[in-house]
Amino acid sequence: MRFALTDEQQEFRDAVRSLLADTCAPDDVRAAWADATLAGGGPGGGDGRVRRAWSALGEMGVLGLCVPEDHGGLGGTDEDLVPLLIEVGRAGLPDPVSSTAGVVVAALRDHAAPGVAATWLPRVAGGEVAIGVGFEGAGTVPAAASLDAFLLSDRDELHLVERTGVELEPLETVDGARHLARVRWTPSEATLLAGGTDDLREGFGPVNETFDRAALGAAAVLAGLSRRMLDMAVQYAGERQQFGVPIGSFQAIKHQLADASLAVEFAEPLVLRAANSLALGDPGAPAHVSMAKAAISDAADGAARASLQVHGAIGYTVEYDLHLYMKRAWALAVRHGDAAFHRKRVRTAVLGV
Amino acid sequence: MSVAHTGGACAVCYRAVARDRIPSMNVVVCVKQIPDPADPGSLDPQTKTLKRDGKLILDESDSYGVEMALQLVDTAGGGEVTLVSMAPNNEVSGLRTALAMGAAKAVLVSDDALAGTDALGTAKVLAKAIERAGDADLILAATESSDGYTGTVPEQIAELLNLPSVTFAKEIAIDGSTAKIQRQTEAGYDDVESPLPALVSVTAGVVEPRYPSFKGIMAAKSKPVDEVTLGDLGIDAGSVGWAGGGQEIVEVTAAEEREAGTIVEDDGEGFNKIVDYLAELKVI
Repeated sequence: MRFALTDEQQEFRDAVRSLLADTCAPDDVRAAWADATLAGGGPGGGDGRVRRAWSALGEMGVLGLCVPEDHGGLGGTDEDLVPLLIEVGRAGLPDPVSSTAGVVVAALRDHAAPGVAATWLPRVAGGEVAIGVGFEGAGTVPAAASLDAFLLSDRDELHLVERTGVELEPLETVDGARHLARVRWTPSEATLLAGGTDDLREGFGPVNETFDRAALGAAAVLAGLSRRMLDMAVQYAGERQQFGVPIGSFQAIKHQLADASLAVEFAEPLVLRAANSLALGDPGAPAHVSMAKAAISDAADGAARASLQVHGAIGYTVEYDLHLYMKRAWALAVRHGDAAFHRKRVRTAVLGV
Repeated sequence: MSVAHTGGACAVCYRAVARDRIPSMNVVVCVKQIPDPADPGSLDPQTKTLKRDGKLILDESDSYGVEMALQLVDTAGGGEVTLVSMAPNNEVSGLRTALAMGAAKAVLVSDDALAGTDALGTAKVLAKAIERAGDADLILAATESSDGYTGTVPEQIAELLNLPSVTFAKEIAIDGSTAKIQRQTEAGYDDVESPLPALVSVTAGVVEPRYPSFKGIMAAKSKPVDEVTLGDLGIDAGSVGWAGGGQEIVEVTAAEEREAGTIVEDDGEGFNKIVDYLAELKVI
């Protein structure tokens, strides 16, 4: 199997990377925090969104990438989207790109009644709506107050609920750009999108697939966050001098960074593999997603630790940019299943126990 | 030459009655594909020139000309943007970026005999390429490239094509067969008018280049790139490249490192030292 990106995927990725470098700089991420003091600067009062980046991504075609062509999109797959979600992570963009452009689009495309799909998909492709995803149990959704709708699970059913149909209970988060809220809502026939045990429906299939795709999105964003943190640490280690030489020349520093980098290098292909499996409907997709999420959650944690340590005391300060990416990595490493949860799923898939 | 109209009917000319004719504006933009400035470049010790054998990207300073050209064509309501470029190894990566932004087609000159071409040689080649690109109402170029910085090619092309040349444009408006140009100066800008066709060099940073959309990136693949050699353009290989260069790079040395500054302990009279220093520089 070949995981190298096609020329076109590379061009899309480069375009998104340069767009986000311009529209989602560290200070833009800071401005998405509610509390300027905790963010280490910025205007404060943010709602977990960088709207300039979001609307530019919409115009570029990122949000409509996986929307079928007859609904105004480009008919792409998870394999096309995942490299772009890695860029979203690299930029630390807090906006709901993975949920809107990946998870929700796939659910609408693959499981919704034609009328429902025709209502929502063109609006997603046009960048008009932002949609979050929450699962029964945790029931939490980031940037919740800014969203237009929610894709929510209830037992074996998927529901698409508009903003007016939910109550939000804001939660405190370490990453102040997340603006997480617990979503309270009541399932009804009107909100039902797919799933259920009725003969005509598909049982747990749609809910499970939606969970896998959400976990894959978090994994991809983690890969980008890891690379951002390591890039910062490597640059810092090359600039910061001690005993007359850059600290990166010390083995204690460079071996630590090499280990962290190796873990990310090994985890990223698993993320691309899982995207390939989900796109093709491979029956092994859930296990592949779990392999990816387990590996990248650990790798991102390692990248955050190594980067923090290499930066020394400045890494702990909120005025320095590192915490913007580190705190996101902590949050996403446990979102949609932490490493231990996904390792268990791999065990069950491989050993049947 | 077609005449560009900024929307609606023109009050004075025949187009006021011939409204079914689409006003159009054809703009040629000279673009350079350069080594990615993010990767540290290196010099070839043999030729003492920049190594340009890797993947090349669109020079950022050219993206402003491309954006301005696209806006002028939009305003005119018709016409198209054509790129001309000269690059080794039939390199098209940078052209694809500009095609993805919305340019319609490109002429690319690539020939082994072009290695070592200086600014005037480049101008000779681009002038021929511009003629090959077809009738142009306006030719845009950047003020200077980000890897060569000679800043002379646009004016040399204008001379070779016998066209009026305006430099440092920050805004261009088309009024009939005249270009009204705001020309950036140190103090502000001059209002300049030039008959069309003309060659105008554009100051970097004066417009915000659009991001290529995914649809644009996909469409760029099928846009025509006319790949030509010196022979196709009727240029004698001896007049360009190393052979035709009017200059020779004799030696390359590293720039002098900046010297450490002088530290003055302020004993309450430190300002006198500053005054003396400024007087020495004849600043005061």
